[in-house]
Amino acid sequence: MSSAPIVLQIFRGDADSTGGEQRFEVPAVEGMVVLDAVHYVQANFANDLACRWNCKAAKCGSCSAEINGRPRLMCKTRVDEFADQEIHVGPMRTFPLIKDLVTDVSWNYEVNKEIPGFTPAANEPVPYRMLPEDTERVYEYRKCIECFLCQDVCHVLRNHDDKSAYYGPRYMVRIAALEMHPLDTRKRTGLLHGKAGVGMCNITKCCQEVCPEHIKITDNAIIPLKERMATDVYDPVVRIARKLNPFSGAPATTDLVEAEASQATGPQRFAVRDVVRLKTRGRRLARVGSVLPDGKLEVWVLHMNGKVQHWDGPKVVRTSDITNNYGPLDEVGIGSKLVEQYITQDHAAEHHG
Amino acid sequence: MIGAGGAGMRAAIEASAAGARVAVVCKSLLGKAHTVMAEGGIAAALANVDPDDNWQVHFQDTMRGGQLINNWRMAELHARESPERVYELETYGAIFDRTPDGRILQRAFGAHTYRRLCHVGDRTGLEMIRSLQDRIVHLGIEVHMEVTLTRLLKDGDRVIGAFGYNRVDGRFVAFKAKAVVMATGGWGRIYKVTSNSWEGTGDGVGMGFDAGAEVLDPEMVQFHPTGMVWPPGVRGILVTEAVRGEGGYLTNSEGHRFMLEVDPKKKELSSRDVVARAIYKEVQAGRGTEHGGANLDVRHLGAEKIKKKLPSMYEQFLKLADVDITKDPMEIAPTIHYAMGGLRVEAETGATTLAGLYAAGEAAAGLHGANRLGGNSLSDLLVFGRRAGAAASSYVREVGLGKIDERQVAEEQQILLLPLSPDGTENTYLLQQQLQQAMQDGAGLAREEKLLKTCLDRILELRQRSARIHVPGSRKYNPGWHTARDLRFMLTIAEAIVRAAIERRESRGAHWRLDYLEKDPALGRVNFIAYNDGGQVKLKTRPVPEMPPELAKLFADTTSTPPASPPPAPSPSKPQQVRT
Repeated sequence: MSSAPIVLQIFRGDADSTGGEQRFEVPAVEGMVVLDAVHYVQANFANDLACRWNCKAAKCGSCSAEINGRPRLMCKTRVDEFADQEIHVGPMRTFPLIKDLVTDVSWNYEVNKEIPGFTPAANEPVPYRMLPEDTERVYEYRKCIECFLCQDVCHVLRNHDDKSAYYGPRYMVRIAALEMHPLDTRKRTGLLHGKAGVGMCNITKCCQEVCPEHIKITDNAIIPLKERMATDVYDPVVRIARKLNPFSGAPATTDLVEAEASQATGPQRFAVRDVVRLKTRGRRLARVGSVLPDGKLEVWVLHMNGKVQHWDGPKVVRTSDITNNYGPLDEVGIGSKLVEQYITQDHAAEHHG
Repeated sequence: MIGAGGAGMRAAIEASAAGARVAVVCKSLLGKAHTVMAEGGIAAALANVDPDDNWQVHFQDTMRGGQLINNWRMAELHARESPERVYELETYGAIFDRTPDGRILQRAFGAHTYRRLCHVGDRTGLEMIRSLQDRIVHLGIEVHMEVTLTRLLKDGDRVIGAFGYNRVDGRFVAFKAKAVVMATGGWGRIYKVTSNSWEGTGDGVGMGFDAGAEVLDPEMVQFHPTGMVWPPGVRGILVTEAVRGEGGYLTNSEGHRFMLEVDPKKKELSSRDVVARAIYKEVQAGRGTEHGGANLDVRHLGAEKIKKKLPSMYEQFLKLADVDITKDPMEIAPTIHYAMGGLRVEAETGATTLAGLYAAGEAAAGLHGANRLGGNSLSDLLVFGRRAGAAASSYVREVGLGKIDERQVAEEQQILLLPLSPDGTENTYLLQQQLQQAMQDGAGLAREEKLLKTCLDRILELRQRSARIHVPGSRKYNPGWHTARDLRFMLTIAEAIVRAAIERRESRGAHWRLDYLEKDPALGRVNFIAYNDGGQVKLKTRPVPEMPPELAKLFADTTSTPPASPPPAPSPSKPQQVRT
């Protein structure tokens, strides 16, 4: 390693002044990281240089900064990777500046408060039993050290300053951790669709590139959440309903039809979003997607994969293929896991019966 | 609650559940406290992996590790209650690594008879702090981040609040409280080579001391055997004991596995004081590695297991030291890790000797005696954090709010503002570095009277000079200004450590005296107490609390040396095979 000093350009300034870079020379030491150099400056040249740090071992996520334009942890960035270049160290620009390298990240903590916490079933026996294969996928999300570098690089938050429309990658990771927790019973898809704004992400993957914990934020948290939300909120029924009635934002529930009478069950009326049971093999549950002009129904068939629902379709059935109509989806409450269980148990009983 | 690590947050949860109005005050952002750095695991006798484990064995391990100067009642409560606290943590959303049948997996650790440490890879502390943090947020508990408190306010003999400043804008802030729980952690930062962050300045214990509380066992400072050595910038950063728990072993520069002779039974998993001393002796004997340490080797575990069970160690060495631990050994040396000493508390309640002041976690003392076992600190936080929170919340139902004495506030403001006056000449950071060097040289792993006395002189000289500190800039987010106040606490604690270390003329646990290599049975019956006598650090002794006969008989075989260990775990418990 060369004995030439390290040249640092560190941003100095606060919210009340424009600020600018200040140049410092620091003696090079083998294996030095940017945080060491900043500490040297603090001890010897600028006692009041503001920076956050705690563990100095990439475990706490405090010393986030922008180093030569890239969001990184100062404690994990070696100075020798810049060879003879000057090293520019500045604060995260997505958050309001407090002073020097310290920014006001309190918005993140406010967002966190809006996310419903872990909610096990009230009668879940303690100690918990959770199989390794069910817990394994959650560990990746729980590695997050809350350095907020992903929030810093996210263009929705950074360039568009749209903090009211999107919680940002960190909180997609947090919601994913809760949603995939094997014993959590709560649904957060409404939140994702609404205030959390998962739809704002257009998958540029910048966040996962800067994650110091190598969490595949986009691939393993945001995309699965988008899919989950699509199933629960933008389900095909709603899409079809919108096609039929493009001027209405709300799902259409008025396409009633007097279906041909089935001898077994008597005359039935079917509406979009009704939950029905099919007579076909497996006696599966399905959901009415649309009522076709010839009186047949397009339905989406429910498959349970563990506790996760998938609606397959569309499949065209005759009304005589249907045994039961449980009524509108919202009232039956698929989505509330208790009712879901009730229906699937009912299903099993009927099937065996 | 002062402090938002494991103990402070657990205390807040308990007090809030009991109906008290709670505010948590912390120096950093929420979730950054030192608990986050705990790696290896949390000790609790769940007996999920080794069915013979139970609280009595855990109790004995803890007492023996502490060389029997622990508070037996704390050790008993800790061993009995930690399983419940671990299970409870999972109800807050934590997920530990699991056995194939879905229970919490446990790993081997130094001086624990059975595999007892519940863990999540090597990031157990992160899992714990995040779960507690989520719970705090969920319960809507008030948190004041980046606020440093520097003085307890008293009304007569009672603690009735605390005073300090907001780090962000430097404004002064006073909290009126019927009870204060001190959960401020330890003081590793007093030393040069430490695994602790900047926060470990002993300020909570210093505040308690200033207000008149007793400080127990200050001389007992733990060296973790395995800290990073090279490059210089990372010196002291922790290498988790889980590396040895998973089967890693130590060798000297000649490739010899020296722990085989030092402790043939427990080998690398002997207690931390024993392993740290063994490494020190190897280096002293000229068998150290290039940068003055030993080699810690995990290559035989195979790359897959290393990356799964020790992912952050793999990353840490690769990024910071250019060492791929699946291909090369890690170079390690002892690093200051933990303060066994702290505020003296009542076992059941965490009440200190001052009315209205409670303490829990590393800031409190008694559980660990002369040496803490790995994994016992995280369970300590939960067990005694909960107890302190419960006791404080029932205390506040019995008392009214006190009256803030403006003179105390004015006095503290004056102390705080002094370094900003233009008269001073001393650089606060350089004084801090000199203190750290003095403690490293004079009150480190191997101690002797002459060096301790020199160290004390240096501390007293630094104390004089600290009155002349000058810090440039304003009160707005000014770390130099913050350090100036921290330094006062560090000097107080350093003096207490050294004074007690001089008086304990024996070797016991972490306290190793080259001039008194043996244990002194008479000193084994006392704890040293540092207390504030008109601004001076004074020492006295208190008898070690005596165990009731039914517990004492568990140690019937024990003389003054650590006993032959209880039956070793069955051979499959030695997780040294590579699982494929």
